[in-house]
Amino acid sequence: MSAPVLSIRNLNIDYIGAEANFRAVKDVSFDIAPGEFFGLAGESGCGKSTIAFAVSRLHRPPALIRTGSEILVDGRDVLELDKDALRRFRWREVAMVFQSAMNSLNPVLTIEAQFYDVLHTHKGMSREAARERAAELLKLVDIPPDRLAAYPHQCSGGMRQRIVIAICLALNPKLLIMDEPTTALDVVVQREILQRIDVLRKRLGFAVLFITHDLGLMVQVSDRIGIMLEGELVEVNDAQTIYRSPQHDYTKRLWASMPKLHGDQIRPEAGA
Amino acid sequence: MAFLLRRLAFYLAAFLAAATVNFFLPRLMPGDPIQIMFASAGSELSLENLNALKLTFGFIDAPLHEQYIAYIKSVFTGDLGRSIKYFPLPVTELLGRALVWTLGLVGIATLISFAVGTILGVMAAWRRGTLFDSAVSLVAIFSSSVPAIVVSLILLFVFGYTLRWFPNGYAANPLLDPGFNWTYISSVLYHGTLPMLTLVIVLTGGFAVTMRNNMINLLGEDYIVMGRAKGLADNRVMLFYAARNALLPTVSSLAIAMGTVLGGSLIVEVVFNYPGLGNTLYQAILARDYPVIQGQLLIMTGAMLVSNFVVDLSYVLLDPRLKKA
Amino acid sequence: MTLFKQLLGNKKALVGLTILVAIILIAIFAPLLTEYSPTRRVGRPHQPPSWDHWLGTTRLGHDVFSRLVHGARVSLAVGFGAGLMITIVGTVLGIIAGYKGGVIDEVINFFTNMVLVVPNLPLLLVIAAFVGQAGPVVIALILGFTSWAWGVRVTRSETLSIRQRDYVKSAEMLGEPSWRIMALEIFPNLISIVGINFIGSVIFAVIAEATLGFLGLGDPNTVSWGIMLFNAQNASALSVGAWWDLLSPCFALALLGLGLALLNFAIDEVANPRLRTGGMLKSWSRMVLLGEGKL
Repeated sequence: MSAPVLSIRNLNIDYIGAEANFRAVKDVSFDIAPGEFFGLAGESGCGKSTIAFAVSRLHRPPALIRTGSEILVDGRDVLELDKDALRRFRWREVAMVFQSAMNSLNPVLTIEAQFYDVLHTHKGMSREAARERAAELLKLVDIPPDRLAAYPHQCSGGMRQRIVIAICLALNPKLLIMDEPTTALDVVVQREILQRIDVLRKRLGFAVLFITHDLGLMVQVSDRIGIMLEGELVEVNDAQTIYRSPQHDYTKRLWASMPKLHGDQIRPEAGA
Repeated sequence: MAFLLRRLAFYLAAFLAAATVNFFLPRLMPGDPIQIMFASAGSELSLENLNALKLTFGFIDAPLHEQYIAYIKSVFTGDLGRSIKYFPLPVTELLGRALVWTLGLVGIATLISFAVGTILGVMAAWRRGTLFDSAVSLVAIFSSSVPAIVVSLILLFVFGYTLRWFPNGYAANPLLDPGFNWTYISSVLYHGTLPMLTLVIVLTGGFAVTMRNNMINLLGEDYIVMGRAKGLADNRVMLFYAARNALLPTVSSLAIAMGTVLGGSLIVEVVFNYPGLGNTLYQAILARDYPVIQGQLLIMTGAMLVSNFVVDLSYVLLDPRLKKA
Repeated sequence: MTLFKQLLGNKKALVGLTILVAIILIAIFAPLLTEYSPTRRVGRPHQPPSWDHWLGTTRLGHDVFSRLVHGARVSLAVGFGAGLMITIVGTVLGIIAGYKGGVIDEVINFFTNMVLVVPNLPLLLVIAAFVGQAGPVVIALILGFTSWAWGVRVTRSETLSIRQRDYVKSAEMLGEPSWRIMALEIFPNLISIVGINFIGSVIFAVIAEATLGFLGLGDPNTVSWGIMLFNAQNASALSVGAWWDLLSPCFALALLGLGLALLNFAIDEVANPRLRTGGMLKSWSRMVLLGEGKL
């Protein structure tokens, strides 16, 4: 395996309370290789989204990433970056698709403006250059360029999701984090989006950190999978192993709790 | 467009309601409504003039609903009767002159306090939990709890009577001829400072709290987190992602706040002897000049409805979701 | 009950409550606090504050302190009386509109919005002007009659969301009569809204009483803070230098307004956890300063 694009070491994250603190992430370590599709699964509240937010350092008080944690992106510790370096790092190296497609676009700005602010901030592009680039990006996700003038509410949920992905690709990031990106969408759109991400990943070469509670879906798309339980990473293995011979008790129980119907339909991808 | 037309129809109904209150009030009081309405006239008005006034206010020899229609007809043709104290000055003319001063006072004070309050609220929410936030909250509590009447009297006492920095009354130096020249305008500004300051003090806190709370309720939204994740400058996320969206509910609360603003200006004008609607009304109340008192309600309601409509318009401009749909 | 417990732990609530209770006690025990009658000439006109007259005297030689503590009774009574009426009307109409929906909702909602766009103070002034020198009871009635709309609006919108909750749905399934659901399932969940509405209405009513009094629409024979303002203004208190005459009721009004507003802010914070900036942020900042972690 070549040098990992994301390397998390001894990550501890607390939510500080008035009386007691709650440890949401407990001493988690794992790596993601360049171009790899890595899945992180677990019940809601197990800390998987907390990890995703920590990678771009998006947390707000009272969350606290404890000293001693390391988040290395391309060998550089994100936790050591100062304000300006952090701003330059965000989106250029790690882009992110958030939980609800409906709400991750700013309702009062046009689609074009939401491309432009990324391209202008990071690349200093002019409006015209940004418009051209945005049109190219939209083409990647099969959206006609005339949508640039639209506002988010004029687009369907699936379309908004694809627009967000296009914005994510604007700066050719090394890592794309998807935090339960498909929960609000119906199954057909969900599958279509994941397939599209997979195609784009192979074409553009970024790695994916995919977070969901839907283990069945995850096994179909991921190369490797980590299973989280109450803030701890209890098992990391390639998707096949997680599916065929889970090691940890909790992983077995997760499989047992999946509806049978769903289990039968799973056709795991052969390793990418 | 449909949205604005619906609002317009509603405002028309609301104006009708205010006129209806005017119609029924004298008729609901114990005693002869004509006697009550024109009591202050005494025997000074000629029979002819009195009859004309009676006609305007719907006191005709006919059943109630015809009286009502007669009154509503005069209101909607812009005939609000004549002032009894300043007979034969028409109420519309008397109040129209005063309205200019009130609108100037209220308009500028609202703009200043809305701008200042909104900016303070945005910054407090963005720096939530810091000393700045606590300071803004504290100032806002003071500002929104102390009534206009108290603020204006204290300002008048401190800056008008004790320090003598500002004049105690009038809209401008009465010795100057009104005109569009710097001497007159500066005099207007000088005389308007304390009344304006009172309204700004009373209003700013409320706007700051509203904006702060709206912002805080939005800060967890995905599009704001995504704005930060995009690596945009802090100010861009604060202003174009958070504040720009939090402004929508704040603007709609502005519509309701206009009632407080107009009410506040009534008091402030009386305290500072400012020649606006409030003072005119005060003189009318002292003289029991009912046509003027009633006309004031209609003019105030009209002002309120117009400002509400302006708020509606700006809402349509601010929220792309309302433009087409 | 937890609401009250949380309130007692809130600094703003404690300060506000202390102010309010102090003013209420002063009002109740007014006759014991001063030897002077509020309506008798007890000194020379416009005496500055002194040992004999703590807050000086009015132009008519009345003791300002005595008028202030006695006036607190009327101002508080009008405030709480009108506040109670406004809250009852607002809450009842709001719950009915929000829960019943349909035509009833549309009618209530239409009238509410209509009353909201007619400016309140000018409306009050017109009514009060026709009533003539209105006593405290009449003023409270007028306020109750004209100022309920805001309460209906907030109660209604909150009821609309509570109506969808499971416990309301299950009560409906069980065939509970709708008045029972409104009174026992919905109302208890509106306590903080009702509280905010009540306190806000009391503030409004106290200020409105003062304003009507100041404008000469009150009954000049009552002793209230509004009438004190009216008398002081008529006596040109400021221009003759008798600031105590005018500023005493001013400060009393400001203090009462402040106490009530603090209570209201506190309820808002307790009921809406997102607005709270409590102890957790303090210990969070401490830990960041100590280098125990970062964002």
